[in-house]
Amino acid sequence: MSVSYSAAAVDQRSAFASGETPARPARRPVHRSLLRTGSLLAFIAVFVAFSLASPLFLTFTNIATVIGQSAIVGILAFGLTSVIIGGGSDVVRGGIDLSLASNLGLGSAVYASLIQAGYGDATAIVATLAVGLSVGLVNAVSIVGIGILPLLATVAVMNICSGLELVLTQNTAISVSTPWLDLLSGADRFGIPYLAYAIGAVAAVLIVALQYTAYGLRLYAVGEHREAARAAGLPVPAYVVSSYLISGLCGGIAAILYTALLSGSTTGSSEMLLPVVATALLGNVFSGRLLPTIGGTLLSTLLIGFLANGFQLLHVSSYWVSGIQGLLILSVVAATSLARRRRS
Amino acid sequence: MADPVSASDTAATTALSLRSLYKDFGGTRALDGASLEVTKGSIHGLVGQNGAGKSTLIKILAGLHRPDGGTISVHGTLQDHPTPHRAESLGIHFIHQERLLVPSFTVGEALFVGQENLAGTTRLLNRRKLQAKAASVLRERFDIGLPADALIGDLTVAQQQIVQITRALLAKPSILVFDEPTAALVKREVHVLLETIRRLREQGLTIVYISHYLTEIEAICDRVTVLRNGKDVATVDPRVTSASEVASLMIARNVTELFPKQVIQLGEPILKVKGLARSPAFTDVSFTIRRGEIVGLTGLLGSGAKELVRSLFGLERPHQGTIEIDGAVRSIPTPNTAVENGIALVPEDRRGQSIAADLPVRENIGLASLRRFSRLGLVKRKREKAHSDRLIERLGIRTAGGEAPVKSLSGGNQQKVALAKWLSRQSSLYILDEPTIGVDIGAKADIYRLVGELATNGAGILILSTDLIELTGICDRVLVMFRGRMIGDFGAATTSGDEIFDAVTGAGEVQHVG
Repeated sequence: MSVSYSAAAVDQRSAFASGETPARPARRPVHRSLLRTGSLLAFIAVFVAFSLASPLFLTFTNIATVIGQSAIVGILAFGLTSVIIGGGSDVVRGGIDLSLASNLGLGSAVYASLIQAGYGDATAIVATLAVGLSVGLVNAVSIVGIGILPLLATVAVMNICSGLELVLTQNTAISVSTPWLDLLSGADRFGIPYLAYAIGAVAAVLIVALQYTAYGLRLYAVGEHREAARAAGLPVPAYVVSSYLISGLCGGIAAILYTALLSGSTTGSSEMLLPVVATALLGNVFSGRLLPTIGGTLLSTLLIGFLANGFQLLHVSSYWVSGIQGLLILSVVAATSLARRRRS
Repeated sequence: MADPVSASDTAATTALSLRSLYKDFGGTRALDGASLEVTKGSIHGLVGQNGAGKSTLIKILAGLHRPDGGTISVHGTLQDHPTPHRAESLGIHFIHQERLLVPSFTVGEALFVGQENLAGTTRLLNRRKLQAKAASVLRERFDIGLPADALIGDLTVAQQQIVQITRALLAKPSILVFDEPTAALVKREVHVLLETIRRLREQGLTIVYISHYLTEIEAICDRVTVLRNGKDVATVDPRVTSASEVASLMIARNVTELFPKQVIQLGEPILKVKGLARSPAFTDVSFTIRRGEIVGLTGLLGSGAKELVRSLFGLERPHQGTIEIDGAVRSIPTPNTAVENGIALVPEDRRGQSIAADLPVRENIGLASLRRFSRLGLVKRKREKAHSDRLIERLGIRTAGGEAPVKSLSGGNQQKVALAKWLSRQSSLYILDEPTIGVDIGAKADIYRLVGELATNGAGILILSTDLIELTGICDRVLVMFRGRMIGDFGAATTSGDEIFDAVTGAGEVQHVG
């Protein structure tokens, strides 16, 4: 009747005895490294093209200025990046912080109002950072504590922040000027804007924290595969909360720089939201594993900054810039999601 | 050993002792006095049909469920309130069927995340150290070299499993529990895994091995405990007791006669499948279903049975082969074309795929055949209601009324609604995926009666099920899939559940044509 199953077992044993090598070597997919190399090449191509087209582009001052101009969007994008790292890069259910730009607007309004009311810079700085952190905390509580989708929770918080900003400023621009703000908006004796130092410093701290510590590794685990993180014994909610706090703090820091750059608070900070989201998403292609990284976001911030600057130097309408940005994002998101789909 | 072993000796040689465990889930008894005794340094198999209580037993051991009665002792010490954390601190670790590793991590990162100190790196990560340590651990334990910078997602499933096992080993466990570890592996990878598990035994670990595959159990286990209906019915030495004997221990038979099979006149073939393949899930599948015929389809997870059904309904695209419906070759690229060709699918996952839980019973029943109740694109609610009331009555759906939301119904009655939805369409081929899972015995009988009625009216029925009693009880023939091939076509009347079971588990790779 049925073939005795011990025969099958014998066959298995002989396979053991023959010492068959277990696994074929892991193959490293080409498309992923291609995408990364391609993006780096594109970056260099943009750089070279503009250098050839305009003599003003590849000058020390111009480069330094572009970096300084990119600082605010860049720092906000770092915040968003850390949230995407900890919440996962699923666009709908994953981590996202849409309140960042309004957070900045509110922080800047607080800074300017305090100075106007006669408080010093130190107080204003502390208050602005505290506002940023609080916004992060509210996001974290609604997402982790109550369980609202990040997309919805942060949209709600975005509205709250914008509302508070309007209440505080009565929808007017508040001009302030203090020696500290003037210094921050200026440049050092080599012509390097202090804002460029600021983005460098924030990037350095976050790169170390997220890419070179156990905390960072765990945050990636939480975002990439929540079940695996849980199985590894990690307190998942605490890590998600921390990512929103980082994001809120980035909003606070950017608010200070924004106030310095514009000598006060103005309405319209919310227009920064889309460039921030775009920058953070674009950053994925600069990472070898197509993951959100601070380094990648820094590169994409600079790429977008150089694009805008180059077009300006060539007298191309700035309207083109946002169109090209959109195109870039579309192709990048398409390419990364295709590459990632193959992996899973 | 003629002398009875003294109590202290038993404690010294017993790693794990579960005694008379009871567990109820809302009226259903999952465990009914199950015991499990595992000797230190042995590989102990645990087998049983779906619903026999294996997973409940393991969840109790993992501290995920609290038993209603019984005792658990680990290394001779009685444990009161096991929690997941407690289980780990006692040295019990679990390797689950699904691999819980981050796909974008390198091998080193995946091994050490959350336990970075084991690689000798603390707050600041030393990635080089991580990779070096990972490589040395893997070489030491399994004698394999994985590229240090390879990402988990680029590894084969078997390699991932080795990483997963290594991760568990880093915590220095004394007892490792494998829960269906080979379900997603191909044959050759299974060999590697089994060899790995033997190595672990040589290193002094105690292993509990849960599997449906009796060949695997026979190949590596020192003892095997058979669970049936929440009880341990036997603990045997698989080298002495044959797989067929183990299989028959797993199957309870006296329930079989509950569902008498009706005799139905068979008509023309309604479905003819020839050489159908969708790699890697299944290859070269051919079979025929005639009008009035009830055909069972069974196989373990990974056998390809599920994918076959999905391909017939247009949810997956076969790479090769033809599907003939009513004598004409059809291609079924989408579920929509399947429905147009008279095929109905009642999926296993009721909540996810087959009913809209928040909508009333009436709307659910009418959902698949709205055109029938509509005029000029508007649904005629009266006609829909009359129709659904008729079906509620005919199927004995116990509900507060046609307007009650489906989620207020019991599992069995929800399933009847799912069936009623397709009954309204009058299809010629019904595919039922686990139609009676989670359904009480009364509803089961109703569903079987209904299936018989459909067949009598000239439809062909394909039932995908892992319940062998159900299959042999109500089907004319049972098709068996094993690791991607159709290895058996059994006439249900002339075959015992044991034979089918042997085929399902790979215990006997024989071809029966019924």
